[in-house]
Amino acid sequence: MKPPSRDWPALLLRHEMLLVYVLLAEWLFFYFAGTTTNRRGVLIGFGTLDRQFDILRHSCEIGLLALALTPVILTGGIDLSVGSILGFCAIFLGLLWRDCGLPLPLAAACTLAMGVVAGGLNAVLIAALRLPPLIVTLGTYSLFRGLAEAITRGAITYTDFPAGFLFLGQERWLGLPAQAWLFALVALVVWLLVHRTTFGRSFRVIGFSPEGARYAGLPVERRLALGYLLAGGIAALAAIIYTARLGQAKADAGLGYELFAITAVVLGGTSIFGGTGTVHGTLLGVATIAVLKNGLACLPLVMRLNAAEELAGLLTGALLLLALAAGVLPRIRPFRRASRRPVDSTHPPAVPP
Amino acid sequence: MSRYAREISVAGAFALLLAVLAVFAPGFYQPQPLLSLATREAPTLLVACGMALVIISRQIDISVGSQFSVCGVCVGLLAGMQWPVIALLPAAVGLGALLGAVNGLLIAGLGLPSIVVTLAMMVTLRQGLNLVRQGKFVDLPEGFQWFGLPQATGQWLLVLGALAVVLGFAVALRYLAAGRFVYAIGSDAEAARLAGIRPRLGTFWVLIGLGALTGLAALMNVVQSPQVQPLAGSGLELKVIAAVVVGGVAISGGRGNLGGVLAGVLLLATISPALTHLRVEAYWEKAIQGAIVLLAVLAESARRRWAPR
Amino acid sequence: MPSPLLELRAIAKSFGGARALRGVDFDLAAGEVHALVGENGAGKSTLVRIIAGAHAPDGGTVAIAGRAVGKFDPAAAHALGIACIYQQPALFPDLTVAENLGLRLESGSPWQRVDWAGRRRRAGEWLARIGARLDPEREIRTLSMPEQQLVEIACAVGAGARVVIMDEPTASLTRQEQDLLYGVVRDLRRQGIGVIYISHRLEEVLALADRVTVLRDGESVGTFRAGAISEPELIRLMVGREMDLIPSGGQPSAGAVLLSLRNLGCAASGVHEVSLEVRRGEILGLAGLVGAGRTELARIVFGLTPATAGEIVFDGERLRLRSPAEAIARGIAYVPEDRRRHGVVLEMPVEENITLALHRRLFPGSWLRRGAERSLALEYLRDLAVKCPGPAAPAGSLSGGNQQKISLARWLATRPRLLILDEPTQGVDVGAKRELHRLIRRLAAEGLAVLLISSDLPEVIGLCDRIGVMRGGTLAAVLPGKSDPHDVMAVALGQAKGAAA
Repeated sequence: MKPPSRDWPALLLRHEMLLVYVLLAEWLFFYFAGTTTNRRGVLIGFGTLDRQFDILRHSCEIGLLALALTPVILTGGIDLSVGSILGFCAIFLGLLWRDCGLPLPLAAACTLAMGVVAGGLNAVLIAALRLPPLIVTLGTYSLFRGLAEAITRGAITYTDFPAGFLFLGQERWLGLPAQAWLFALVALVVWLLVHRTTFGRSFRVIGFSPEGARYAGLPVERRLALGYLLAGGIAALAAIIYTARLGQAKADAGLGYELFAITAVVLGGTSIFGGTGTVHGTLLGVATIAVLKNGLACLPLVMRLNAAEELAGLLTGALLLLALAAGVLPRIRPFRRASRRPVDSTHPPAVPP
Repeated sequence: MSRYAREISVAGAFALLLAVLAVFAPGFYQPQPLLSLATREAPTLLVACGMALVIISRQIDISVGSQFSVCGVCVGLLAGMQWPVIALLPAAVGLGALLGAVNGLLIAGLGLPSIVVTLAMMVTLRQGLNLVRQGKFVDLPEGFQWFGLPQATGQWLLVLGALAVVLGFAVALRYLAAGRFVYAIGSDAEAARLAGIRPRLGTFWVLIGLGALTGLAALMNVVQSPQVQPLAGSGLELKVIAAVVVGGVAISGGRGNLGGVLAGVLLLATISPALTHLRVEAYWEKAIQGAIVLLAVLAESARRRWAPR
Repeated sequence: MPSPLLELRAIAKSFGGARALRGVDFDLAAGEVHALVGENGAGKSTLVRIIAGAHAPDGGTVAIAGRAVGKFDPAAAHALGIACIYQQPALFPDLTVAENLGLRLESGSPWQRVDWAGRRRRAGEWLARIGARLDPEREIRTLSMPEQQLVEIACAVGAGARVVIMDEPTASLTRQEQDLLYGVVRDLRRQGIGVIYISHRLEEVLALADRVTVLRDGESVGTFRAGAISEPELIRLMVGREMDLIPSGGQPSAGAVLLSLRNLGCAASGVHEVSLEVRRGEILGLAGLVGAGRTELARIVFGLTPATAGEIVFDGERLRLRSPAEAIARGIAYVPEDRRRHGVVLEMPVEENITLALHRRLFPGSWLRRGAERSLALEYLRDLAVKCPGPAAPAGSLSGGNQQKISLARWLATRPRLLILDEPTQGVDVGAKRELHRLIRRLAAEGLAVLLISSDLPEVIGLCDRIGVMRGGTLAAVLPGKSDPHDVMAVALGQAKGAAA
């Protein structure tokens, strides 16, 4: 069986190419099934520019979370708390702005810092104390969401943000939705980090072999910590954009986003066991899910049933299972025995004796 | 250090909480509210029992909340079709077992990682349910609540029933060879294979068991109110995992017992009303749950690091 | 004469290109202790793994109680009554001794009742039968390795094994524990069980065994009655007279002292009071048996494990290493023994493996420079004559010898001043071995200080300027370069030097 490597670009690219085909097919399907003309002969539905921009807007937050998760999953870990960090940071932003009276730019900067601190909790527990990422992030998933609920007493909503801020989430800049530029910037930074720097390479090595990384002199704990800190910071950015888009911050911000983010990452070809994966794959995965979510909402049948969100969730879950099953069958790890522990059996990265 | 140090300390923490309540909020100790509390938490105990088995075998299942909701709604619908209770019991258990079997096929059969599989199942089931039901409640027929028995009787029936089931599982885990296999699989799957145990088959059955218990728990929950809420299972997985981890079941598998799980469930169940009585706002519950999980994992890690060698 | 319990004829086995066994005959009678001795890599482990069914031989026959074995399968071997006590016991760490024995030995349906009292009693009986004083209620996790071994032996006895194989059972036991084990072995013999006993402790072997077979380079050099042979004779047979001709270039005079260890020790790993010096341009060999502490010492010098006693002085500077990165920054490199787990990352391309320790130097500012990486990789691939499809091929697709070269290339690329090699030619074919030897010579000639850990006596004696011999976690002696291999072996085994006359 030919192993994947850069000498056989066809094989590696093949996964992303498959995804491109799926994306195209999806897009075309929704274009034809979801676009009609109204009485005045104007195009409405999926095929309109407005709708496409909507898709772009909606995919920014999940896309950011997926970008945040990619380095973490590359190291063989996982972070279930990114959605909760988003919610917590959204509330934090509202708190700083409305209750503490900070000017928005400063509040936003502090929110970004808080995101990094939240990620820092994961980093300390997972990288420094070597606790299993699964259960730690399951705990912080609950903790941060709980903090958001506690601060808002479940009822408070922060609204009335200034127009300048809402511009970020609702208006266009240079022809595209404003947040798309920010997303593109982050995507570029993460792509460069993973594919063009030694940090990215370290992530992969740690994912393939944490002991091997240590023997090569790589600072394993520092790199792991970086992954979780970055994830927290990006989640905070997603919180800011989310708030700007919706014009309000509630405790349930980002609830359930982690599933979509993880699905995008796995769909994009990143192995849940770590080591293999690409950022462009993640982006394709995000696009696939975003088109699915929004395209469904344009189908007349779905509109009549008012079932867009449910169907999207259902299909996304099924898509994730399919992607996993498809990933397992070709045995992405041809060189190691199958006794490598998957991330879910909650083992900390192997500690060298 | 005693082998049961962890379970004893949980029981101790529970006792401490009870003592604090006795001093600062004696209003907590009233028979009827306590019985109601126990009844409300009986389903949680059942699911925690199943979850403990899954975690001992070194897997995890975060789709139990959605399984719970689906089973609850189905039971409610069947009750509405005038199915007798005798038939509802196997129906609920069977449906839960079926859902557990799906997980089992994917995780044990295909070898897919359980966290991601159950994450996908969680959303698929929940959204599927919403799709079909649109969030509508299911109205239960007259006289269905508490199986048609007076409330207090019904409550005692549920509480004792749940305890009996857990006791049965506890006995099986201790005295049945198959129960010990669960520990073996979780402790070292390879050694288990060499000893003639089949780890994948064991994992499969354990996941089915959790599903069956979830179905039963859903039935127990349904008979407590005149309507079935489709959102009833939301957050259940976190609550149950927290209780199990607090109760001394190690995430790395191979150790833990249902006595500790009972103590964990009791402890977590008491926290919410305790907060109320101690005049702490209920909104802190989720945060406290998360903090408890983190503390429990830290404690487990500390125990391993400084355990006698 | 009843047919022997176990009979092996003309056993041959190769792994990849390397021949582990060539035409070995071996037999075992019931109620006999038959010892197997030989250097590391002589083929002992391979032979017993064939007996235990883990490998199938390429040639030859195996017969148990007169019946030929057709299927080589651990379960089949177990069913035929063969039990192997490995160094790494396959026990359940979280469960008790009694439960471990119960799970391994009880048969029947999963739905039967567990009789805890019975389990405890039977475990106690089996442990008593072998004279082990262990509490059946203890968790395996809390037992030491030797204690776990005793549990394994009790398991074998309980399973009614007819052949028990023990691989270096006394390697890390106290005097008391050793005596206990000898008693166990004698008990087994009394019960008519055949014991295959692998050990390096020749004195113990001669005292315990009925017969001894010596293996050397995959061949059986002879089988002797224990009373009819002496230790020095055994050593001579183990080591042999022929030596691989290692190209001997001129001996460059060694330069200044680069590495100086003074009473170095690490409590956790058993290394204690190691004092030695390595000079620039010198190849210092580190010989010793498996478990003598050589790799552990290397790990301390490389910063993988912290020293708890003594000091490391490198180029005149006292070092307190907290991580390999610090060691690498000083110019220390360590090519590890476990190639597949620590030496290379199998899934990554060759060129990325080669530059893995070079990130700080080759990629300033943390930006990857693919061009520089590729040309560096090509340079080393050429220099070391690595046979691979290309620099982008995953390291796992290369043969063992070439993987070793990649592992070496990674560390050579860091331009170290001290190079520690841990079993560099293990599992490498003869041709690659010679190339590596030439390379090591060349490196030393260029001024590198080399610490060569090796179990290959001819290699150590041929290459090294001096030979340190470790035993039991400390340095037993430092012998001069062209020492008699018997002397080296004797020191490694704990014999007085010169007794091998």
